[in-house]
Amino acid sequence: MKQLSLLQQATRRSNSFRSLDGGGPDGPMKSPATLFWIILHALCCLISLVLGFRFSRLLFFLLFSSTTTSPNSSSSSTITVPFFRTLDTRSTAILQPPIPENRTVASRVVVGRHGILIRPWPHPNPEEVMRAHRILERVQKEQRLQYGVKDPRTVIVITPTYVRTFQALHLTGVMHSLMNAPYDVVWIVVEAGGATNETATLIAKSRLRTIHIGFDRQMPVSWADRHRVEDLMRVQALRLVRDRKLDGIVVFADDSNMHSMEFFDEVQKVNRVGALSIGILVHSGDPNESLKTEKMENEESSLPIQGPSCNSSESLVGWHTFDARPYAEKSAVFIGDIGTILPRKIEWAGFVLNSRLFWKDNDDKPEWMKDLDTLDDESVESPLSLLKDQSVVEPLGSCGRKVLHWWLRVEARADSKFPSGWVIDTPLEITVPAKHTPWPEIPPELPSIEKKEIATEQNFVEEHTVKRPPKTRTKKRSSRSKKKREARVAEIQLK
Amino acid sequence: MEIWKWALFLVAVILLGEMGIDAKKMSQLHPTERISGSAGDVLDDDPVGRLKVFVYELPSKYNKKILQKDPRCLTHMFAAEIFMHRFLLSSPVRTLNPEEADWFYTPVYSTCDLTPNGLPLPFKSPRMMRSAIQLISSNWPYWNRTEGADHFFVVPHDFGACFHYQEEKAIERGILPLLQRATLVQTFGQRNHVCLKEGAITIPPYAPPQKMQAHLIPPDTPRSIFVYFRGLFYDVGNDPEGGYYARGARAAVWENFKDNPLFDISTEHPTTYYEDMQRAVFCLCPLGWAPWSPRLVEAVIFGCIPVIIADDIVLPFADAIPWEELGLFVDEKDVPNLDTILTSIPPEVILRKQRLLANPSVKQAMLFPTPAQPGDSFHQILNGLARKLPHGRSVHLKPGEKVLNWTAGPVGDLKPW
Amino acid sequence: MGVTERSKKRVHLWKKAVLHFLLCFVMGFFTGFAPTGKPTFTRVDSSAEKQYNNSMVELAPRPMLGVTGNNRSLSETPESAVEETESEIEIEERKQIIVISPTNDKDPLRGVLLRRMADTLKLVPPPLLWIVVESKMESSDVSDILRSTGVMYRHLVFMENFTDHTTEMDHQRNLALKHIEHHRLSGIVHFAALSNVYHLSFFDHIRSTETFGTWPLAKLSTKRKKMIIEGPVCQSSQVIGWHLNKLKMDTDELPIHISGFGFNSSILWDPERWGYLPFADATKQNSLKFVKQAFFEDESKIRGVASEDCSKVNIWQLHLSS
Repeated sequence: MKQLSLLQQATRRSNSFRSLDGGGPDGPMKSPATLFWIILHALCCLISLVLGFRFSRLLFFLLFSSTTTSPNSSSSSTITVPFFRTLDTRSTAILQPPIPENRTVASRVVVGRHGILIRPWPHPNPEEVMRAHRILERVQKEQRLQYGVKDPRTVIVITPTYVRTFQALHLTGVMHSLMNAPYDVVWIVVEAGGATNETATLIAKSRLRTIHIGFDRQMPVSWADRHRVEDLMRVQALRLVRDRKLDGIVVFADDSNMHSMEFFDEVQKVNRVGALSIGILVHSGDPNESLKTEKMENEESSLPIQGPSCNSSESLVGWHTFDARPYAEKSAVFIGDIGTILPRKIEWAGFVLNSRLFWKDNDDKPEWMKDLDTLDDESVESPLSLLKDQSVVEPLGSCGRKVLHWWLRVEARADSKFPSGWVIDTPLEITVPAKHTPWPEIPPELPSIEKKEIATEQNFVEEHTVKRPPKTRTKKRSSRSKKKREARVAEIQLK
Repeated sequence: MEIWKWALFLVAVILLGEMGIDAKKMSQLHPTERISGSAGDVLDDDPVGRLKVFVYELPSKYNKKILQKDPRCLTHMFAAEIFMHRFLLSSPVRTLNPEEADWFYTPVYSTCDLTPNGLPLPFKSPRMMRSAIQLISSNWPYWNRTEGADHFFVVPHDFGACFHYQEEKAIERGILPLLQRATLVQTFGQRNHVCLKEGAITIPPYAPPQKMQAHLIPPDTPRSIFVYFRGLFYDVGNDPEGGYYARGARAAVWENFKDNPLFDISTEHPTTYYEDMQRAVFCLCPLGWAPWSPRLVEAVIFGCIPVIIADDIVLPFADAIPWEELGLFVDEKDVPNLDTILTSIPPEVILRKQRLLANPSVKQAMLFPTPAQPGDSFHQILNGLARKLPHGRSVHLKPGEKVLNWTAGPVGDLKPW
Repeated sequence: MGVTERSKKRVHLWKKAVLHFLLCFVMGFFTGFAPTGKPTFTRVDSSAEKQYNNSMVELAPRPMLGVTGNNRSLSETPESAVEETESEIEIEERKQIIVISPTNDKDPLRGVLLRRMADTLKLVPPPLLWIVVESKMESSDVSDILRSTGVMYRHLVFMENFTDHTTEMDHQRNLALKHIEHHRLSGIVHFAALSNVYHLSFFDHIRSTETFGTWPLAKLSTKRKKMIIEGPVCQSSQVIGWHLNKLKMDTDELPIHISGFGFNSSILWDPERWGYLPFADATKQNSLKFVKQAFFEDESKIRGVASEDCSKVNIWQLHLSS
């Protein structure tokens, strides 16, 4: 085997020589005969090279094989490289397996006890780890090529957003999904109140093709108004799709959506207008705390779904809409500018559209499609308002039975604040001494704490920062509590 | 021109020398012929019409009664002997006229003798086999005609017809003397081993086809495991010292790679075992007590590149399946370098192997489905038998000639069953 | 051209040819004698080899590493492909990140949050290992979801029943730590609650952890006007204090959220190396406790690994009701 591969190496090597020879001293001769001669010459050179090589290997083989053939290994190897340290499991020094007496002669396999080979370097080579990950990446890419959607279309994602406490959290989630989608993505981010740097820095990290446009109205406080403004923002994005003649599938992803990767495969199936089911997550995201409320509602895993509804013959008959009644009495929790927000009857996120439907002077623009310009902006509540005839909607995702994306719209209070760019302003001066640091076992009873608590009522961020002078502690915890050291509680100003 | 003569002579010498070495090496590595191109040329052969098999009618104590005693025999790795019998009974290659038969089959369930743990301990099998052969040789003329040279036996146990679970004892015993001339169909495949008879047909171990079908997941499920293995590394019960079991190879896998996150290896058998194989790129198939393991079948079915660690293994239907192209062979001594070896394979090679593994013919050849399907293991066994036809002249004995020694072998084996 | 001239030229050509052949032959001959230790697939770690030469015992001759059997398919591939990958490999070697996520089957959002977390982890440059722990269930979609993500993960299950949520989460984290310990996996361990949302740059920062690393975390809640920041106060990367969200703390409790710190996994399986006593019997069953204690023990080992002065928040945690 070794010889074979070496032979191949040699052949490869000599291939490169051949080209040199051909262009060498015999160059100027041009007739077919000379050409033939050159080729023959090169070929013979090659053969002699190979022969020389093989001859030496043969010599090598004959010379050394007799000396290295040991009774326990009949393999015809040539060089002995001491390489592995053998360890018995019990680390007794059994290193050489017992030599068998009358065993299978021709097989190099030995019956009996063998050493357990343990290499001296314990950890994987980091370079090889990276190589393995590349292989995995390549394999996964190949799988997508082979089993994925053929000739995929661009996905045009429209996301209305505005700067607020939860924006980073929500938008990052959607961004990561889009980054993972194995298709070309154009991400149109419409920002209420004009494009801000805050949003721009956030979406710039996506490395996607993004179009960040501002919307000239501020995001209102009441939820009904917000929905209306968001509708307008989406329509503005659609105008952009029309004006720039973007080609692909228009998807409405709110920054509060979460997508399964299958979602992006599924939307590729749409012909003109498609509808998918959205799972409505009205529960809180913290398992700790949500359990109680959830049990009270006692509809534990029946996830409310909004989306197309089909009959037995897989054709669209209507819509599952979100039933807000069970939550009506909980209005105290869900209304206003805080808490979980209930969805409207039909959310934009459940629809996908072929972008060509919006193009101007498109010949095959269907009659049932309303023109964006003729619309009264305020009347567009969902993609259904763009259609004259709702029967053209194609239900996707096994006719809406498969839920491939979700809706969890939670927001902080409108008046809640957060550090700009999520960079904490570290306090410079610290005023409050504490008994010990950094983990007080008794709350420091200090008047300034009280003051601070009061202060936080007007403040948006509550902070108790305990500071200790660096490197003055002992390492023993027991002594920590006894020693009275100075520590300072700080208040962080975030503005 | 002198120099030319000299050169020619040298060339001739070298070439001859080379051929000598190569032939020697080749005989070590490739005892069987290989098909070229994609797998499946030979696998798609239809054995019907190419051979006829006569199935001896034996008392049910040799087969059905044994199975009744222990139905676990239907599901363990050696169940091929039972399914092969069932298959032949209804197969179109079966003939009821022994005169026109090319092959004779004696249905003995020699491996169906399990410990409470489900491991076969075929201590009684030699006597049972002997008794069966005695029966057929006295009731029919066909055994004595050839002394078994046109008979085949399915002996799927670890060391085949040596009938002992410990390798050293098995080697001591050797293949049952009465089966010296017969063709064996066995799972065991250790090249040049006393217990692997020349001309034997190596078959895959039995893996439940329906169960595997039920665990198939979509082929686009991203493969996110680099190397996968579930099974023992040390067999502490039978090999407290370590080093006998798997010739130390499995222990070496654990010791060298347990800390490598690319190696998803463990002794625990998860419920998602089959699914996990389908999202792995490489599946380790190291030897255990014997060189083969059901992992090979599972890897092929689930499209995971089998990494075969068992020196000189003879793989199932190696004359029809291009195993080197589908799988990867790593020497037992190279186990400590598995990571280097596997990460150095160019991705193109890996993708090619995956494409070849996706070939349904190879998958089909690994399975013993009920009912039988074209191209499955049953058909491959028949194809293998058909390729041995026509029988050579040496098959038929001259009148009065005797080869077999009925009194050879350990005394214990000679007792009546 | 005269006949003599031609024949002269021919002889000349023959001579030249023979010379070439001989040269080639000799060249091939000597190539054959070149050491074969240049394996096609492996590099030998020569330093390691040297180091262990004395203690090593010759076991079996090693003619050449690699794949036995037929390399036909391997040698088929053009050399260039191999070289290409070889040169491509010159990329940075990164530290492994081990992300531990306990899950709760009573959480209706588990499936969705798992997918969201997987999306984020898929974008983290490798190597990354995700350990997901789950209580054993008759039917659970966790395996299905994990399988579809393409992230390298280990899915651990346990049988025990718990009534207390916190105890269960700790048990799950312990189980994952046990796995790391058993396999001696090396890397930076991070506990990721499913409700966490990450900036991708977080994972770049965390790789710089040596022993212990810590960073600020923002807890967001819906009904409060305030958001809470937990984590270190730093001067460059030196931790000089903590943002506390409550002033009463048990000594056993971390001053920060469990997702607010990370550590080098080797303190679990090689504590001596870091100057810790090996597990006492009491802590043997509780690796989490051990880690926390080790964290307490010596603050000088803790580094703020977020950006400059630990001031940038890269993790948010959704905290809805309270």
